Amino acid sequence: MADFDYMKIVYAALTIFLTINYGLILQGIIGKIYARVGKRMGIRIFQPYVNLIRQWATRTSISHGVMYYLGPVFRFSGGAGILIFLPIIYGAPIFSSFSFAGDLVLISYFMFLGTLGMALGGGESGHPYAALGVSRGLSQVTMAEIPMIMAVYSIAVQYHSLNITEIVAAQQGSFLNWTLFTNPIATAAAMLAFLGSMMRSPFDVVLAPQEIPIGPPTEYQSQFLAMLMTNRTIFPVAKTILFVNFFFGGVALYDNYLLTFLVFFLKTFLVYMWSVFVGLSFPRFRVDHSIRWFLKYPMLIGLISIIFVNIRY
Amino acid sequence: MVEPIYLIVIALGAAFLLGLLRKTGSALQIALTLAALAGMVFISAQWAYGIIKGTTQAAEIFTSGMNPPLSINLFMGRSEAVLLLLVNSAAFLSTMYLGREHKKTSVYMLMLLLVFVVGLNGIILTRDLFNLFVFIEIVSIASAGLIALRSDIRQLGAGFKFIIAGALASGFMLIGIIFTYYATGSLNIDVITGMMSPALASAGYIGLFLVFIGIMIELKPFPVNGWGIDAYQASIPPVSALVAAGTATAMFYAFTKITAMTGGIFLNASMYIGALTFVGMNVVALKQTAARRLLGYSSISQVGLLVLVFSLVKIFGIAGGELIVFGLLVSHALAKAVLFWLSGIIGKESINDWGIIRKRNILIVAFAVAVGALLALPPFPSFFAKWELITSLAVKGQYGWIAVILGGALLEAVYLMRWFGNAVKDSFNEEDNLDFRFGTLVPVITGTAALLALGYFSANLSVFENNINWLLPAVVIVLLLLDFLPAIVKNILLIAAIAWYGYPLLQAIEGYRSIFAAIFVIGAVITLLPGFMNKGRRPGFYPAVSMMFAGLVGIIEATDMLTFFFFWELMTLGSYFLILRGKKSKPHALSYMLFSLGGAYLLMTGFSMSFAEAGGTSIALDILKTVSGSSLSGIITILLAVGFMTKTASAGLHIWLPGAHAEAEGDVSPMVSGILLKAGVFGLLMTFIALGDQSIGKINIPYVLSWIGVITALTANYMAAMQEDAKRLLAYSSIAQMGYALFGISLMSHLGWLSALSLAIVHFTYKVILFLSVAGVVHRVKTRNMYQMGGLITRMPVTFFMVLVSIIALSGIPPLAGFSGRWLTYNAVIEKGWLLQGVVAGVSGLIAFLYLFRLIFAIFLGQLKDVHRRVKEAPFWILLPQILLILLVLYLSFFPGAFLRPIGDIVSEFHPEGALVWNGATAVSEFGYWNGEAVMWVFIALFAANFALLFFLNRGAQKIKQFNIVYAAERPARPETTHFAYNMFAPYRKALGFLEYPITTKFWSGVADLMHSIAGFTRRIYTGNGQTYLLQIIVFVVISFLLSNGGK
Repeated sequence: MADFDYMKIVYAALTIFLTINYGLILQGIIGKIYARVGKRMGIRIFQPYVNLIRQWATRTSISHGVMYYLGPVFRFSGGAGILIFLPIIYGAPIFSSFSFAGDLVLISYFMFLGTLGMALGGGESGHPYAALGVSRGLSQVTMAEIPMIMAVYSIAVQYHSLNITEIVAAQQGSFLNWTLFTNPIATAAAMLAFLGSMMRSPFDVVLAPQEIPIGPPTEYQSQFLAMLMTNRTIFPVAKTILFVNFFFGGVALYDNYLLTFLVFFLKTFLVYMWSVFVGLSFPRFRVDHSIRWFLKYPMLIGLISIIFVNIRY
Repeated sequence: MVEPIYLIVIALGAAFLLGLLRKTGSALQIALTLAALAGMVFISAQWAYGIIKGTTQAAEIFTSGMNPPLSINLFMGRSEAVLLLLVNSAAFLSTMYLGREHKKTSVYMLMLLLVFVVGLNGIILTRDLFNLFVFIEIVSIASAGLIALRSDIRQLGAGFKFIIAGALASGFMLIGIIFTYYATGSLNIDVITGMMSPALASAGYIGLFLVFIGIMIELKPFPVNGWGIDAYQASIPPVSALVAAGTATAMFYAFTKITAMTGGIFLNASMYIGALTFVGMNVVALKQTAARRLLGYSSISQVGLLVLVFSLVKIFGIAGGELIVFGLLVSHALAKAVLFWLSGIIGKESINDWGIIRKRNILIVAFAVAVGALLALPPFPSFFAKWELITSLAVKGQYGWIAVILGGALLEAVYLMRWFGNAVKDSFNEEDNLDFRFGTLVPVITGTAALLALGYFSANLSVFENNINWLLPAVVIVLLLLDFLPAIVKNILLIAAIAWYGYPLLQAIEGYRSIFAAIFVIGAVITLLPGFMNKGRRPGFYPAVSMMFAGLVGIIEATDMLTFFFFWELMTLGSYFLILRGKKSKPHALSYMLFSLGGAYLLMTGFSMSFAEAGGTSIALDILKTVSGSSLSGIITILLAVGFMTKTASAGLHIWLPGAHAEAEGDVSPMVSGILLKAGVFGLLMTFIALGDQSIGKINIPYVLSWIGVITALTANYMAAMQEDAKRLLAYSSIAQMGYALFGISLMSHLGWLSALSLAIVHFTYKVILFLSVAGVVHRVKTRNMYQMGGLITRMPVTFFMVLVSIIALSGIPPLAGFSGRWLTYNAVIEKGWLLQGVVAGVSGLIAFLYLFRLIFAIFLGQLKDVHRRVKEAPFWILLPQILLILLVLYLSFFPGAFLRPIGDIVSEFHPEGALVWNGATAVSEFGYWNGEAVMWVFIALFAANFALLFFLNRGAQKIKQFNIVYAAERPARPETTHFAYNMFAPYRKALGFLEYPITTKFWSGVADLMHSIAGFTRRIYTGNGQTYLLQIIVFVVISFLLSNGGK
């Protein structure tokens, strides 16, 4: 580790800080959209800031044990890890600080670290809702990831690479080079898988606010919850960035920094909105429903995308 | 050198003398009989020794002062001497066993016995056709007398049927002899042999046929042998033993003489009759539960095998055939005698009542040895004989006969192993007694020891050069002899022995073998550590475990196929004994053994085929390479691969594993799951290294295997997620992991093999840890059902940590070692282009999360049960190996290059293209890159920072009570109702429950049912009616005649 550039740690911290801010604003906007669709006034845009800061400020004297304590730590380490392993902006070393650590396989699997830690932490709380939520979440994610794995294989073969930076590089030049246009079937499969992982309707039975109040984190409060909320802020953004990189040409560094950030916001926001749009339109699935659903059209589309690349490349 | 004629003189003299001593004490009578038999043993031993050593010449003995053909001549050659030794020893030991049994009847019993032995000696020695007939008659009458001696109605009936059937057989024979004499003008076998010509064979056909068929009937061919089976069942055990070892041997030898005399014209007939008898009797035996009747079936089937094998040897002119026949004959005679003697000691009619054998451990050993010898397992003579037989048949291209012989042997294994399992596991009445005395014990021990010793010698007699390291089996014997010592002492001895043997081995061995050698040797030492917990003797454990590890080390060291197969079978046998030790493992151990034997037979066939393809000269494992271009290479690949896949429990061949691994003892499960399964991976690698990428027609074998591998992984992971039993969950998990290994190998590329080999290593580490952790938990909470546990993290924190690290490693989540396998698999799949299999593998990896979470949550998290509030941490000796291995897991996680680089170098030997490039700690493939160390450091840094933050902020937090949860303003009733663990993935089951449909189990149980139905149907021919039996014989003779002569 002698030649390690310690500035990367600063860059990583900066990435996380900026993403938290972006995530909070995004949450505010989306909260607003949800409310307006339901003909309510909704929260203020900056309400998520208030919530998070207030939560961080709340002290607690309660713990359910060691694993419970470590749950949020695992969760946030997992979320932040993905963010700094990702090449966020193509051509900007500052925003791809630790992407040298691994390719998309690493990121795909690293995502589960936080999930697992969370599941274990919630598990130790002893609350049945926590275990119930985990059971639902795990059940659903196994099937939701099928089209995703297919799409990943599809684009990896298409670009002959597992390296995210190379995949983004291949999409530069024109928007017609985006995977969305060069491999629309894989994109479709992946975008359906995306729905399954965004914790929104119709796939939000994991949290199921009505029956099993928020699922795995049921027993978490104050600063434990604050750490989880912080992760909840960055995690969807990280996932969205991944999808933008895979399918929508990534975000390249323009000479004009503002333009770069604008493209970044626009792309991630629109991809994110896809889950919001679907979530607002469809009612919730039960777990067995969602499993069956993922095994139908999304898997079929994924299969076609695999056959497609197998023939074409 | 005592003249052979004294064999007959002594016995007859003693028999006459007994008549005079009728009124004296029984002790004198038995002493006289034993002395006579001892004399006969001595004479035959002397001849056998002399002829084998070459100090004595074979001798002709002329009687009545004239030369043949006018007089009768006897011949004492090598075969005769050996067989006489066998027969007379069996007679001596059986008489010893008899003790003063004759007091219950009369001294006639001993006289009959001596006459019987005279008959046997005569049959073996005589060279005169009519004299042969006379001796056969003597044996028939004497044995009928012995059978019917006691006034039991069943015995009387059996004896009567026996004598009638025997009379019919000898009637045919006598007529045949008359015709033969008419055609040849001689009764001397040698003279007739000398003058035999096609013309004579044609002219004297009817006579020769009747002689032949008479002998055949004496050998009790299927299905016309009901009278013979009744006789076996009804006799007292020592007589049955003598019939099985003596009569069968002598009659078989008579058959060989007749075959020589007839110039081999009936070899085809005897081949088919032998095959029918061998297979038919084994089928019928499947439904038999009466112990001695079962042994009767088995004896007759073995004689059928001998007839078949002898015919094959003669027809195809197999070199070294004598050793094959003798190996089988001697093994059968000794083993069957031991079993009959044992049946007398046990004194139970049904094979389900043999649990009483456990009162004396020595009897179990004898039982195991006898069964092993019958099944041709190492190290018995039959093993080497069978190896030579199968390889020779392969050289002759007789694969149909290989299938018949091995298929029949598998049937035999079904009932013998089931019986053995019953004996070892079934309960028994403590008040019952064994007939356990000096007189009964000596024959059993002698027979057992002889089988073991002969195995050693027959290995050297084998025409094949082998490098069997007898030190390894010797360790097993030593531990068997030391079984009286406390377990701790034996544990130290075995660990020391493994370390002493393994350390130089690990340094000397190179290439891919070194990886497996490391797993086997280090794994052995580590998994033996929990053995120190046992305070008692732990009888039987150490011979079994040493046998398994000896086998594992042996296959690593093997350079030729015979040695490999020897140790492969030894390992199977050892692991079978180990698995059988579990409380409820009886059916699972049986199916394990049967699948393993089936697999082993496929291996044997595959090896033999490659031996034949390579020219039939060398059995070195290296010749597998030379056959990779031959026309049979695809079939060889399939045979070997499927054979090894029974060990890795691939889908379709897996049904033995969950039960076997789950029901095994706590410290046995990690051995069989973490270590033993790798033997299959080793074999698969060996196969594909040698044979490469094979296809049959347009079907690519690795491609098919890749699908089997991923489907195994998918279904087994699903099944694991649905288990309530922690050990069954882990067992299914092992099946799935072996599926990945198979998939990795089937990719036939650098990265694929790298993933398979690295998986072999990491699977060893975490699966041993997990099984031991669960063993520790089960040891404390006394249940394996996970929903009955919960909240144990506070009681068993160390174990929890072990499980936590292991499941993260198993799941393949970075930063722990399991991720390397995932990353390599993705790369390898894209490189190969087998994307669909890659998807299935990926999905099954996700499904694995389900069971991993269930395992750790249901046991350690959630609600602690009231009964477990005082549970202690797992014992030190269970924790120690886990701690050692967890250090290894962490090391491999921190420095994945430490094992991926050397393995990569090894794999490059076979697949140089597509190797990883290492930039410092970063592994770079054609598609992607991964720096395990960086990931680890990033994770540690993030984790530490977050933890520090949370700890600083929440430093005052205290652990609150279990029920202090947000529960709708209520308090939970009980931990049991609050612990969400039973049927944890109910929605999953609702959506995907069809995956649980037991297709494979149904298929195999359908096969088993079919075989049993056939057995039940076929054995109806044994009506017990003497008239029916006679009719059957006559029909049999007619049909045989028509078939053998084509009705001409």
